[in-house]
Amino acid sequence: MSDTLISLAGVGKDYPMVSTGAGRLRTLLSLVTGGGVVEHLCALDGVSLEVKRGESLGLVGENGAGKSTLLKVIAGVVRPTRGTATVNGRVGALLELGSGFHPDYTGRDNIALSAALAGLSRGEVESRIAGIIAFADIGAHIDQPVKHYSSGMVVRLGFAIATALEPDVLITDEVLAVGDESFQRKCIRWMEDYLADGGTLLLCSHGMYHVQTLCQKAAWLHQGRLRAYGDSFSVTQDYLAYHEEKRRTESPFGDRVAYAGDYFAVRSVSTHDDRGAPCAEFAMDEPLDVRIEIYSPDDRPPVALVGIVRADGTPVYGTHSDERGYAPRRIGPQRYAFGVRFPRCPLIPGKYVLRAHALDPEGLRLYDTVEAGFTVRGATRDYGLVRLEHAWHAPPD
Amino acid sequence: MQSRPAHSWRWLLANFLRREITSRYAGAAGGLAWALVHPLAQLAIFAAVFGFILRVPESALGGLRFAGFLAIALWPWFMFAEGLQRAVASIPGNASLIRKVAFPHELLILASVGASFAVHATGWVAVLVALALWGEPIRWTGLVLALPLLAAQFAFTVGIGAFLAAIHVVLRDVEQALGLVLMAIFYATPIVYPIGMVPEPYRGWLAMNPLAYVVARYRDVFVGGGWQAADLAVLAASLVVLVAGLWVFRRLSPYFEDLL
Repeated sequence: MSDTLISLAGVGKDYPMVSTGAGRLRTLLSLVTGGGVVEHLCALDGVSLEVKRGESLGLVGENGAGKSTLLKVIAGVVRPTRGTATVNGRVGALLELGSGFHPDYTGRDNIALSAALAGLSRGEVESRIAGIIAFADIGAHIDQPVKHYSSGMVVRLGFAIATALEPDVLITDEVLAVGDESFQRKCIRWMEDYLADGGTLLLCSHGMYHVQTLCQKAAWLHQGRLRAYGDSFSVTQDYLAYHEEKRRTESPFGDRVAYAGDYFAVRSVSTHDDRGAPCAEFAMDEPLDVRIEIYSPDDRPPVALVGIVRADGTPVYGTHSDERGYAPRRIGPQRYAFGVRFPRCPLIPGKYVLRAHALDPEGLRLYDTVEAGFTVRGATRDYGLVRLEHAWHAPPD
Repeated sequence: MQSRPAHSWRWLLANFLRREITSRYAGAAGGLAWALVHPLAQLAIFAAVFGFILRVPESALGGLRFAGFLAIALWPWFMFAEGLQRAVASIPGNASLIRKVAFPHELLILASVGASFAVHATGWVAVLVALALWGEPIRWTGLVLALPLLAAQFAFTVGIGAFLAAIHVVLRDVEQALGLVLMAIFYATPIVYPIGMVPEPYRGWLAMNPLAYVVARYRDVFVGGGWQAADLAVLAASLVVLVAGLWVFRRLSPYFEDLL
């Protein structure tokens, strides 16, 4: 078997514009005569990339950038208008799990249908069906029509089928973890095993953390074209930088409309570098300085709470200003400024969100929350949220 | 595109076929019985209108009574008409599958037409056996002789069905027009009347209708007629229709996902 699983050369895809009856007629004529699509929308253009066995690829880009179209080209559902797409091996798609199910069929019958669609023979289905049913773990519902399933059950069955088809390439979007807590753990464990056994993943995700940890390479699609392609760290960081840039031009960073009322409110939160200049990108282990301004309706010094979460919402760390001996600076009537400094911020490279909360002077009631995003750059292959102080050594006898 | 040997798709075809046959009657208490009741009711209506009220002369029916004369042609008509209608509806009806999974779309056409033929061929045989027991001069050898004609009709129906289904994806007018056109073809085919009742100058035109030929041949073989060389020509012509229809279908099928 070839080592190159997927090879795209100059792939482009035009979608015909068929909103009018006349447009449909013209399209029909040109398709039958082989003249190509007359009026079209260009969804993909000039995309060339290669995926080798065991070398997972992350696909990033904004909504409408052509990610889904590219995945469909690779899955063989869409024939490219230009260029060639070669796929050597069985492609398993975890896109919209259970979409191929027939609502009147029982779960068991749908397993047979999905397996037949994937090219399995009746004998191969028979030998795998028990494993699929065990993985899906939906009990007696397996003999009920799928239309009576909850959405969670449909997804469980869909994932169970996809795992049993032993794909050479697994295409997946944000469904790395589906279903309830225990099923999510099962999915993630399966995915880890699949990758450890040399499986190849094609991940289309907005979670840069997943792309960085699961994929060696990444491709950034922008308006149907490949904007960056290469090492997943540098591509995702360029992509995040692009978003920061976009955010900054759309609205002043971390700013908020001045607020006055009966509440303790966060008026601004911003991140600053070592020299005190506003900054949204930090290198790993660089100092990170957070500045917060809180409005106090009764002019008493409020309490600030600062939390850092990863972009996917996983909490990393939190601290509050209600420490012995700390007092914010009063910078005007009813206005207090806080600062908290992390001298060597050990966050693993990725995208994070800073959450600033305003509490009353007693620190009892939380009134307001404002978020500001920032990016930590770096090329570590460590896993997790923060780098712990450590050293590898050869243990003594 | 993944390429896979054609025979590896037979399990999928079997699955589609089973689905086509069972899902239409799923949830109906009568189940598959409706597949027989529906044509039987039509048979009763046509027999009442044309055999009893309008009185098609029995002398022109080649030794059959009107019910037998009608039944031999009516079930093949259902195979054809329902096969086309199902084929045309099958592509939009499976849009979610076509948009998500790569598979040869012509399997849907084969399954639609195949299910229609399987269901109505079963009903046909049952009705013919009942008629024979009732005293109609129907010969069981006719069933064997009808097979090549049935094969020709199947190839013809798949070819036309594939062509219309492909056009229908782009131009959704096909399904609207098909019902009307099928009604016209039904009366333009000597199903409810013998061709002898058609005035002479128009008889030649009717004979150009390929369905008129197979209908006449079914009636012939069931009352003791034998092979005819023209059957082979019709079979060959039907295969040409099949190939041409599939050619157009395959030409358009890569774009189904774009247009659905």
